Amino acid sequence: MLIALPAFRFSPCRSRPPMRTLCFATVAVLGFCAFGQTRAAELLPNNRPIEVVIDHYGDTLLKTDEITAGPQADDATLIRRLTLDLVGRIPTTAETDEYVKSKEPQKRAKLIDRLIASPGFVRHQASQFDVMLNNTVAGGDARKGTVRDYLAAALKEGKSWDKIFRELMLPNEADPKQKGASEYLRGRLTDADKLTNDVSVAFFGVNVSCAQCHDHPLVADWKQDHFFGMKSFLARTYDAGGFLAEREAGLIKFKPAKGVERSAKLMFLTGTEVKTDTLRELSKDEQKKEKEFTDKSKANKTAPPAPAFSARAKLVDLALKPGESEFFARSIVNRLWHRFLGAGLVNPLDQMHSENPPAMPELLTWLARDVAANGYDLKRLTRGIVMSKTYSRSSVNTSQSLPASKYFAIAKLKPMTPLQLATSLKIATADPTTFDNLKPDEFEKRIESLESAARGFAGSIAQPTDDFQIGVGEALLFSNSDRAIKEFLNDSGGTLLGKVKTLKDNGEIADLMVKTVFGRAAKVEERTAIAEYLQKRNDRPLEAQKHVLWALVTSAEFRFNY
Amino acid sequence: MPRNFFCGSTDHALTRRSFLGAATFAGIGAATGMSSLNALAAPDLAKDLKKNQKRVILLWLAGGASQLETWDPKPGAVTGGPFRAIPTDVPGIHISELMPEMAKRMKTTCIIRGLDTKNGDHGGGAKLMTRGRRDESGVKYPDLGAVVAREMGRAESKVPDYVTFYSQTEGRISGDSGFLGSRYAPMELTSGNSPEFLKRLDGINELDHQQRADLRDMFSKQFSREHSSNTLASHNEAYERVRGIMASETLFDITKEPQKIRDKYGKTQLGEQALIARRLVEAGVPFVRVARAWWDSHGQNFETHQEMVPELDHVMATLTDDLKERGLLDDVMIVTLAEFGRTPGINSSLGRDHFASAWSMSMTGGGIKGGSVYGKTDDKGQKVIAEEVNAANLFATIYSALGINPHKNYYVGARPIPLVDPGAEPIKSVVG
Amino acid sequence: MPLPDTLKLVKDFSRPSIAFAIARAPKSNQIFLGSSDFKVSAGDLTATKFEPKDLYAHASYVTGVALAGETLVSGGYDGKLTWWDTKNAKAIRSVEAHAKWVRKVVASPDGKRIASVADDMLCKIWDAEAGKLIHTLKGHEEKTPTFFVSMLYTVAYSVDGKYLATADKVGHVVIWDATTGKELSSVEAPTMYTWDPKARMHSIGGVRSVAFSPDSKWLAVGGTGKIGNIDHLEAKARVEVFDWQAKKQVAEFVADKSQGIVNRLEFAKDGSWLLGAGGAGEGFLIFMDVAGKKIIKQEKAPMHVHDFVLSDAADSLVLAGHNKVSQYKLG
Repeated sequence: MLIALPAFRFSPCRSRPPMRTLCFATVAVLGFCAFGQTRAAELLPNNRPIEVVIDHYGDTLLKTDEITAGPQADDATLIRRLTLDLVGRIPTTAETDEYVKSKEPQKRAKLIDRLIASPGFVRHQASQFDVMLNNTVAGGDARKGTVRDYLAAALKEGKSWDKIFRELMLPNEADPKQKGASEYLRGRLTDADKLTNDVSVAFFGVNVSCAQCHDHPLVADWKQDHFFGMKSFLARTYDAGGFLAEREAGLIKFKPAKGVERSAKLMFLTGTEVKTDTLRELSKDEQKKEKEFTDKSKANKTAPPAPAFSARAKLVDLALKPGESEFFARSIVNRLWHRFLGAGLVNPLDQMHSENPPAMPELLTWLARDVAANGYDLKRLTRGIVMSKTYSRSSVNTSQSLPASKYFAIAKLKPMTPLQLATSLKIATADPTTFDNLKPDEFEKRIESLESAARGFAGSIAQPTDDFQIGVGEALLFSNSDRAIKEFLNDSGGTLLGKVKTLKDNGEIADLMVKTVFGRAAKVEERTAIAEYLQKRNDRPLEAQKHVLWALVTSAEFRFNY
Repeated sequence: MPRNFFCGSTDHALTRRSFLGAATFAGIGAATGMSSLNALAAPDLAKDLKKNQKRVILLWLAGGASQLETWDPKPGAVTGGPFRAIPTDVPGIHISELMPEMAKRMKTTCIIRGLDTKNGDHGGGAKLMTRGRRDESGVKYPDLGAVVAREMGRAESKVPDYVTFYSQTEGRISGDSGFLGSRYAPMELTSGNSPEFLKRLDGINELDHQQRADLRDMFSKQFSREHSSNTLASHNEAYERVRGIMASETLFDITKEPQKIRDKYGKTQLGEQALIARRLVEAGVPFVRVARAWWDSHGQNFETHQEMVPELDHVMATLTDDLKERGLLDDVMIVTLAEFGRTPGINSSLGRDHFASAWSMSMTGGGIKGGSVYGKTDDKGQKVIAEEVNAANLFATIYSALGINPHKNYYVGARPIPLVDPGAEPIKSVVG
Repeated sequence: MPLPDTLKLVKDFSRPSIAFAIARAPKSNQIFLGSSDFKVSAGDLTATKFEPKDLYAHASYVTGVALAGETLVSGGYDGKLTWWDTKNAKAIRSVEAHAKWVRKVVASPDGKRIASVADDMLCKIWDAEAGKLIHTLKGHEEKTPTFFVSMLYTVAYSVDGKYLATADKVGHVVIWDATTGKELSSVEAPTMYTWDPKARMHSIGGVRSVAFSPDSKWLAVGGTGKIGNIDHLEAKARVEVFDWQAKKQVAEFVADKSQGIVNRLEFAKDGSWLLGAGGAGEGFLIFMDVAGKKIIKQEKAPMHVHDFVLSDAADSLVLAGHNKVSQYKLG
């Protein structure tokens, strides 16, 4: 049941209660019930298209709260947004023109399907998931590949999210198709607490690290039992001569903030326990065996055998079991929603608990039910989200105020990721005619090579987080670094500047540059300002043209996915 | 004087800003009106406020330096380790024998020995001890640097307001201006002692550099008229600050200092960065954080501290003397702080582990009462037995000493946010 | 000489403090301990209850105890060396021996000299009876190459008393003529010193133990391997053996089952094996065959070992370390 909470916000994990008196009933509920389980009968039927359901619940909320949604984005904006969101780059001028001009009634669906089917989709989503899984953990054996390698291969094969979860948590190190998967765990084995929290955050939307030291003071769902319960599933995993191994048994003891030392159970976030007689310390024989396996693994370069009872496997099975899988399903829904809409249905992404409910609880529940019932198909969910009208609203806002984020009434700006920005810079500064008359696979290959070439520069841009602040360092990089100039502002063959320097009319130059960089026609003021700038410098036209291109690609309109 | 920006309704949340004709506006959730506050301050008032502009150099002892091997030694206790305590120039105050130079300068310094902050993990502890409080979901608090930059920064300043050095790769935490927004976000130096890309490239002249930027501005402002987000605002802010920051290039150039001074600070990275910090505060930069990573001596605690503490001691003493000689010590506060301290218990590797129940920090100059100790730990250093301090009242104390009212409010939308946790009071006996 | 595989734990004694140094008169069951409680104590290994008695105290950790005949000489972090008459149980003298923390104290095989090393980077040779300073050996830099203070961890005599070896933090090992105090040779073991400029900007490790082979030709040097995360002693134990006159390494041992640092080394009197002891979170014993260039045996010790005494016949081994003293037999 949903519980109405007062509007005051309070800080979690504070050591002292806040001064203002807050009245709320501390509800001791299992996390499962804490989602305010909406009865199935209240939800839209499960055979509706995803986008219809999204728009239904979105519009209902707007109507209830009397918020006016903004209009839909125009075609040029929409194709730019979809191309960035799905394949990680801006569209070429030709792609944009074709889309804008097309009178095909299903053109949006066709565009989405084309993008999702392209190799760029796999690459981009692999990057996004890599960042989501927080794989900046150091260390790793190059021969074992990276998690990103695994994700790209898995997504290429169309593996579902539950399969990916299973393979990251229980990788088969002998399977070449899973190369790199083992690195997710391996990079985290020296710190069981970090491993526990990373897994909880990435797959379940739950950051229980506060609950390590004491029951979460304000989130009734999260107690020390939950933290150590999760840890118990994971702490038996260790590195055996470079391979992942897991102990037959293990027992975690912890000292609660008050009271005597307790032993942790194998307990999932829902409170469900896995009963086992392996909650004990390893015997001396077992310790000896562990050493032997490690030595053998090292010698034979193979993984040691899996234990008869694998706590980690139990975690995976339990987390995906109907009745227990709400955390898993809701989290992936929230993550993908956040990726495309710029904010989650629940924010922050790792605070999915009963005291932080979504503004559209039925929508989250419906989408979670849908993704679980349809095999955690990521493409299907992605397609549904980006087909909705909620997604395709314009981000333009000319009124004095902005409706609250939770309404998604106006589309949110998303700063480009480093790779999106660098790749888009490559495209925007290329001569647009170089993309003409390419066969589809030639085009894809060209795009892929631009992406690879962009990776170097992408390393000097920061990865955006929520509430991201772009630092003056980025502005200095673009303003004064040699590299930025060399990579994007050179006028050699095949570049936009190379083409521009053959043109004589400043107005024409302005039009071409704005069209190529912004993907739209130049406004009158823009053409005038650019022409004036160029005119003033007609003794050094090539330099001046570089300045103009610089001003366009460093402007806010380019920097953001709007 | 309390400032009420808004009548409280969301509809009119941005009236003030649009009244001022600002071209950009931040979305709900930002501390709107912050930049305009500076512009609003009447010139004379500004002069008064900035007359004794206080500044801070934070020596961030990343990883958690041991209080037992620095400010609160327990020689002879089973937890005390091998290093002894030495008397200082303040009768009754003893510090570790690893800090002989600061021992001669305790008259300038206040030691807080009773820190009990409860958070013993690097990430959480760092967040707590850089902000004076934990973040809430929904409110991102600014850290000490951002607040000091906000309070002491000058609107027309040609120097950055908040600079941080964190050159090591371990435990690196960025500065964070939270809801104060990009205007007070730090300039981060993570490799080398000088910000990169401060120099105009040879291929473009001064006028073009400026006008090219103006052209960029035009495109951006036009976009910003029809779009809003905090990140968008930060993008524009970043470019607006470029020329001002470029002008501060020489401040970071250590070769501009006489060799004698450079020799005094020594050849280590901490020494050089502390010297640059002095140059920066001397030029009016309100806040510089110099991180000295990485103190997390889970193994070989005594070897590690024997190596690192003398460096800290020497650099801190040199910095104190240098500021004093330049007449700056009353206005510049040197703070040593970390995410937590280290366990009294000594493990089998002769290491000490994380410990937040009874640890120490120091404040020197800048309005703090030198020669004082606040807080007492028991004879083994296991718990605070008198004058306990938590993160909130520590920050209340620091703000108070700097002349900032710790109970003043910032505003996020219509919501007032006090500078420190409600109920937290400064330690009056150490505020000078 | 008894073979390493005959090693057997006899008794294990808990101690409230960390024992850093141990000495034992030949053919005696009395051992002397220098500990973290600042005390020098004496205990009887044969007692039903091992309860060492405190003899006297330094003003900080006691890091070295050495027997010269019936005289016990101890040194510690207070920079002092104390002479103690074990027969009459009284103090003889206390000397302000070093400006900084004393790390080790050893007696020459003939009992006539005492050698001490400290973090003032000096090795001092003393007349064991009169307590007078005979030589001050200067061969180690006070600062590391990156301008931080260094440490001088260890010293050992050769079996014939002709040579002394000293070793420091950065892996510099010096061999001296014990009589004249002149530097004869030096070797380097830089692997045992990890300086991390990138992640943590400090160092860990150092050469902690040295031991001459019975014929004095070889010098074994003990420490740990290169460490990635210098917050912990996470590398494997490491021993290098040098022909110190030719300045060549003749053997290198990485003990794959033994994590940590080698605090003490000693050759069996017939040279057939070399014993190393040390630890990190746990402790280890390593037996090495230097001529054969292989590790004979690795054994887990009951604690992180800081020092040991090995009887001349190598049939009795007593370990001193973190909260424990352990007695072993061999053969």
